[in-house]
Amino acid sequence: MLTLSITDDKNNVKVNLNGDLDIEGTEIVNEELLPKLINFSKVNVSLKEVPFVDSTGMGLLINLVKTLQEKGIVITISDVNKDVLEIFDLLQLPEILGTDVIVS
Amino acid sequence: MFRRDFLYDFMPDGTMDKTLEREIKLARNIQMKLLNGKKPELEKSEVSGISIPARLIGGDYYDFYPLSNGKLRIIIGDVMGKGIPAAMLMILTRGAFRSAAESTHGPGDTLTAMNKAIYQDLRVLGSFVTLLCADWDPEKKTLTYASAGHYLPIIARGSQNLLELPKVKGVMLGGLPNTEYMESTVTLNDEDLVFFYTDGIIEAQNAGGEMYRIDRLNEVLLRNNTLDINEIENAINDSISKFTNNAPQKDDITMVLLKVNKGSTNITSYNSPML
Repeated sequence: MLTLSITDDKNNVKVNLNGDLDIEGTEIVNEELLPKLINFSKVNVSLKEVPFVDSTGMGLLINLVKTLQEKGIVITISDVNKDVLEIFDLLQLPEILGTDVIVS
Repeated sequence: MFRRDFLYDFMPDGTMDKTLEREIKLARNIQMKLLNGKKPELEKSEVSGISIPARLIGGDYYDFYPLSNGKLRIIIGDVMGKGIPAAMLMILTRGAFRSAAESTHGPGDTLTAMNKAIYQDLRVLGSFVTLLCADWDPEKKTLTYASAGHYLPIIARGSQNLLELPKVKGVMLGGLPNTEYMESTVTLNDEDLVFFYTDGIIEAQNAGGEMYRIDRLNEVLLRNNTLDINEIENAINDSISKFTNNAPQKDDITMVLLKVNKGSTNITSYNSPML
């Protein structure tokens, strides 16, 4: 079960996701998380506590990033574990989202 | 075959809405018939494929398209998402493949044409499709392949060797407009097994949440690749089924197998329109 915690500092916000990112996280990402982020100018999403992302979870992540980018919000994804990073590489996420989105 | 627990909503009295149930079953029948059409019959070579949805209907896809030059074009893919929405996009993907396969020279061109055809639709719908497309040339015994963010196939050679294919990278369909897909080619030996798959296999979970993973798959492929193609398929199914022990799965499970037998190979019948 995916959970999230948010800490914000004026215009910046940090999101910590916790748990597998898959279809069970659809409502949490799209309906709970996304609306909370649109009023910030900088967003960081930490995947430190996300051990697994399946193809549906990848779609959720990509749509989250693209939606925020379209609104002019700068978003980064950090603390990605090795297994998840391999899938990012397979899908060529940096090419799709921008090379500065996924940070160490 | 796996037994799966279905995950759809039910009425307060515990029954699924009858109309919804009927329509889902009809949709499932359509999808199963399209997915499980007649396989091309090959001389001295065999192909097979199976897709098992995690829910009533799935978003995985595979297809065979015999070409007029004697090659067989193979495709396998995974639509991001699950259930009915993914199934609808799977049909869109199938149409794009069938149309592109007729008019393109190789698997890279096919993926490029497919992305051009459905990129806009995928963006509007916020979805993506990973695909692996390959041309099997039975005369030269070569496999030419291109990937749109999909796992490369595994080649099992005898009981000791699993070949790692030269990497070809490509963005999944719906990721970038006007992207072009590179190809790579390998020559196969007699008795080689080419195993195409979707992530639902290696991510299949048991009741404890443990995943099947690539190591178990590799082990089964090495142990069974000298069998005939149906026996290999059954061995893999049995291995996954034994591991998951009927635990409900989150993702569809799909595999395509190509077995090169001894001697020359020709495609002798087709499940697609002749060119």
